[in-house]
Amino acid sequence: MTEAYPTIAQCAVVAAAFKVLLFPAKSTDFEVHRNWLAITNSLPPWEWYYEKTSEWTLDYPPFFAHFEWILSQVAKLADPAMLRVYNLEYDSWQTTYFQRLTVIATELVLVYALQLFIESSHGATRRAAQAAAISVLLSPGLLIIDHIHFQYNGAMYGILILSLVLARQRGGLLASGLVFAALLCMKHIYLYLAPAYFVYLLRTYCLSPKSIFRIQFLNCLKLASGIVAIFGLAFGPFAAKGQIPQMLSRLFPFSRGLCHAYWAPNLWALYSFADRIMISVAPRLGLPIKMEAVNSVTRGLVGDTAFAVLPEVTPRMCFALTLLFQAIPLVKLFVRPSWDTFIGSVTLCGYASFLFGWHVHEKAILLVIIPFSLIALKDRRHLSAFRPLAVSGHVSLFPLLFTPAEFPIKIVYTIFWLILFLMVFDRMAPASNWPRFFLFDRFAILYITVSIPLILYCSLLHQVIFGKSYEFLPLMFMSSYSAVGVVGSWIGFMVVYFTS
Amino acid sequence: MASASPSPHKPRRKTKKTITHFANNLRPEPLVRSPAFPLAAFLWPARSSLSQWEVLPLILMVVGLFRWAAGLWGYSGLHKPPIFGDYEAQRHWMEITTQLPISQWYFHDLQWWGLDYPPLTAYHSWLLGKIGSYIDPTWFALYTSRGFDDPILKVFMRATVIVSEYLIYIPAMVVFVRRFSRLFGVAQWTASVALVAILMQPATILIDHVHFQYNTVMLGFVVASMSSLVAARYMWASIFFVAALGFKQMALYYAPAVFAFLLGSCTFPRFNTGRFFGIAAVTLASFAVLILPLVVGALFDASRGIDSRPDLDGPRAPLPIFAFLGTYLDTEAFYYPVVEQMVQLIHRVFPFARGLFEDKVANFWCAANVVIKLRHYPTELLQRISLLATLGSIAPPCAIVFFKPNKGLLPYAFGATAWGFFLFSYQVHEKSVLLPLLPMTVLLAGKQGLGKDMRSWVGFANILGVWTMFPLLQRVGLRVPYAVLTLLWAYLLGLPPTSTSAYFQEGQSKSVQWATALLHGAFYLAMAVWHVVERFVDPPFDKPDLWVVANVGIGFAGFALCYLWCLWKLVEESGIASQMLRGSGKTKVKTR
Repeated sequence: MTEAYPTIAQCAVVAAAFKVLLFPAKSTDFEVHRNWLAITNSLPPWEWYYEKTSEWTLDYPPFFAHFEWILSQVAKLADPAMLRVYNLEYDSWQTTYFQRLTVIATELVLVYALQLFIESSHGATRRAAQAAAISVLLSPGLLIIDHIHFQYNGAMYGILILSLVLARQRGGLLASGLVFAALLCMKHIYLYLAPAYFVYLLRTYCLSPKSIFRIQFLNCLKLASGIVAIFGLAFGPFAAKGQIPQMLSRLFPFSRGLCHAYWAPNLWALYSFADRIMISVAPRLGLPIKMEAVNSVTRGLVGDTAFAVLPEVTPRMCFALTLLFQAIPLVKLFVRPSWDTFIGSVTLCGYASFLFGWHVHEKAILLVIIPFSLIALKDRRHLSAFRPLAVSGHVSLFPLLFTPAEFPIKIVYTIFWLILFLMVFDRMAPASNWPRFFLFDRFAILYITVSIPLILYCSLLHQVIFGKSYEFLPLMFMSSYSAVGVVGSWIGFMVVYFTS
Repeated sequence: MASASPSPHKPRRKTKKTITHFANNLRPEPLVRSPAFPLAAFLWPARSSLSQWEVLPLILMVVGLFRWAAGLWGYSGLHKPPIFGDYEAQRHWMEITTQLPISQWYFHDLQWWGLDYPPLTAYHSWLLGKIGSYIDPTWFALYTSRGFDDPILKVFMRATVIVSEYLIYIPAMVVFVRRFSRLFGVAQWTASVALVAILMQPATILIDHVHFQYNTVMLGFVVASMSSLVAARYMWASIFFVAALGFKQMALYYAPAVFAFLLGSCTFPRFNTGRFFGIAAVTLASFAVLILPLVVGALFDASRGIDSRPDLDGPRAPLPIFAFLGTYLDTEAFYYPVVEQMVQLIHRVFPFARGLFEDKVANFWCAANVVIKLRHYPTELLQRISLLATLGSIAPPCAIVFFKPNKGLLPYAFGATAWGFFLFSYQVHEKSVLLPLLPMTVLLAGKQGLGKDMRSWVGFANILGVWTMFPLLQRVGLRVPYAVLTLLWAYLLGLPPTSTSAYFQEGQSKSVQWATALLHGAFYLAMAVWHVVERFVDPPFDKPDLWVVANVGIGFAGFALCYLWCLWKLVEESGIASQMLRGSGKTKVKTR
């Protein structure tokens, strides 16, 4: 088997060149990480989770704080002024260059993990794996969030993929679990995927492959002690000081509203949309309208989202729904624990948490897209569920960037990625043993076609027609449209998952 | 091509037809197992795809993304009062063309970036200015908008460069690459690789999209003209070339080659009167159309009583050049404003009065100035020597294309004449190196264009060219985009400093390979060392320009080498050398 081209390394080089050119792009999250560099560098760990000079307080778990501390040791050499807590909004060119470079450098973890992923695939699937790996590496989501908006998702998802790939061989199961535990101590959003890990490791590592009633005690001990050690390392020192409640209040800010500022495209966005429509329909049906909610809900701002007609949603309900829809696929994983099923259930856990979660940020869609990419090329049925997700997930990220200078980049890059990879995937995905479902395919094509006029309207025409008024309208259209795509692809994938 | 031609006794015409037919449909893929350089690797999966239309949109999106991302960086003159830079010049022209009557365009406040480009630039500025004023009238308000650095305005200006390029340069280049590669039976996939390489050329991106100018409009017209020459559409070629000249006078660098080629194609094998007069008429007509708005505008403004120089009272000012005309012409006659307008246009566009060279440019004069101080010599003498040297350097390539008007030779001829002008003419700017680089770079689409030999020379010229512009770029803080775009291009094409794979190919004489490798290696080493020294060592106190002068010296030597290479390839490819060796004019002339 000859090597397929281009290689991951070649793509990484060209992508890095492009990312360096994006250095001057304006960013809002830039200050967040500068502040964290300053906090971890200049304060003892006991004050990390209490410090609140800046509004961007540290709200990631301890390993991420340590990661920032390591970066800050290098940052000293670049420009020590960025490491002062009171130096708010400080952005000398050294600071910018340094911070942007750290994102590119730490993304090497992702490159390495993807290379491992390709090497772990054999035979005919290898070229497909390479295409999928390149699609993740060049993902517009990572480009927009990390290299323009500014975050370290590349490194985090690199660790996630590393852990997923390690789980592919029996020998790597323990390492996979431990890497995932460490990842949880870096960014707690991955807790949403933890149920899939729990079931998979329980079934394949802690129980005998032959019978679920034979427990492998040694393996259980290894895994448990490893995980306890990792969590102990991360949280132990803070627990010893009695800071855990304070830390938890930072990590899980339940005081925030149901929908995030820009309406992540999940079920609650559709719910809000339906509520908006009900406002005009309700009088005819004789339903009561809460007048105080009519004005607030339209903006969808952070804070309590109130519904005018439909019943309120509580965090408890969100939590229950999430758990319920996570549990369904896990049953199959427990019965048939193959790696493909594992990735599928990780994807479905991501879906459930994204669709039903409380205060979901639209960035969380990567939690679905990236694991799904690894199995999207398994056959055509997987691909047909992946397609609407790829479109809606990336389109829903558009509102993150709003300055005109970055506008063409996000649009052209996303369209480029969609055309390239949907074309390539379409050629590579093998036919399925199962008949495809006719309607779903048509739905997907129609859906993708609608995106073009919608993007045009939301990004250009709306401003031309209405100017600054009705600003919520494009946001609502965009998130409702994306929500339809995400929900549709979720249902489609559920069917594929349970029938294959 | 020889392999494709059938038995020799068939009539010539028919043979040609078969070849074209063959070349169009059944072009065999080269049997290569792995890509020779990274750019080929990126297009590797596209080898099997039959349609260019699947690959082309993706290519155009990627090169567009790199252009726009590079444009996020600063432009020339950003936050540099009092005079700012090229960006302000272009913005100011949009301001004066939209705010002033047409007869004042070439006269208005010449101290502040007075308009000194030919009329098409002025019309282009007018159009962009109109569109921009529709978005925000303050961008181009008279006087008050000078040095305006609104970020939204920057986005608008960057967008105008990209849109202009995508309307002119890129379609022209796509068509040219298609036609030129077919001329040599190059496979479609290979031509796509060449297209990306040409469009990612760092020098054009850095000058147009980062430093800020509209060179690609002029270069696009030149490419369109070359492409029409390749397609044997001589009149279209003339129209496009006049458009290039009308956008930027710098296109004159190519004029002798265009002229010689057109004249040659009218003269050989026998004089073609129809074609000759057709070309002449079309050229004159396009010049007339070009200046028509200016002429009509001058007459119209004069009839409305609008003076071209409202700042002056009293009698009309004498003509800036050709002052003798004043004694023959009646300054009150109805045609006088037109004469004044035309004289002023020529005066602005061709600054005869300025010195031999302005800044530090890697040409002969600047390099020679290090050894002998040129300012001790009278200007007239220098101008005469410069003229003679330029003519001497462009005469051989022009003579060759005149006697052998062979389409395949066009880029070499354009390259050699442009290098001749760049090296020896006066009033050359660093940025003018784009002109000789363009024809050299398009060679990638030609015969053996992506072979190691061609790649190494085209790459050498481009990297050296962009390196000589480094002082210009770093003055406005553009080290990073310079490094990224240059290294990326070198990486994509497998060139030093990222790889040495472009040297040492099989089937070429060892001595030539070693000579090329050593020669280029010496230059690459010099460039690398120069960068290190420039960054970390301060120049001696009494010679603050030492590093720039070193840059100019090395650049001049390398460019002279490129000139000689173009000339040599021209001689080699035209078959003149072998013809002379055989001592008879009976050798078969290449038909294509």
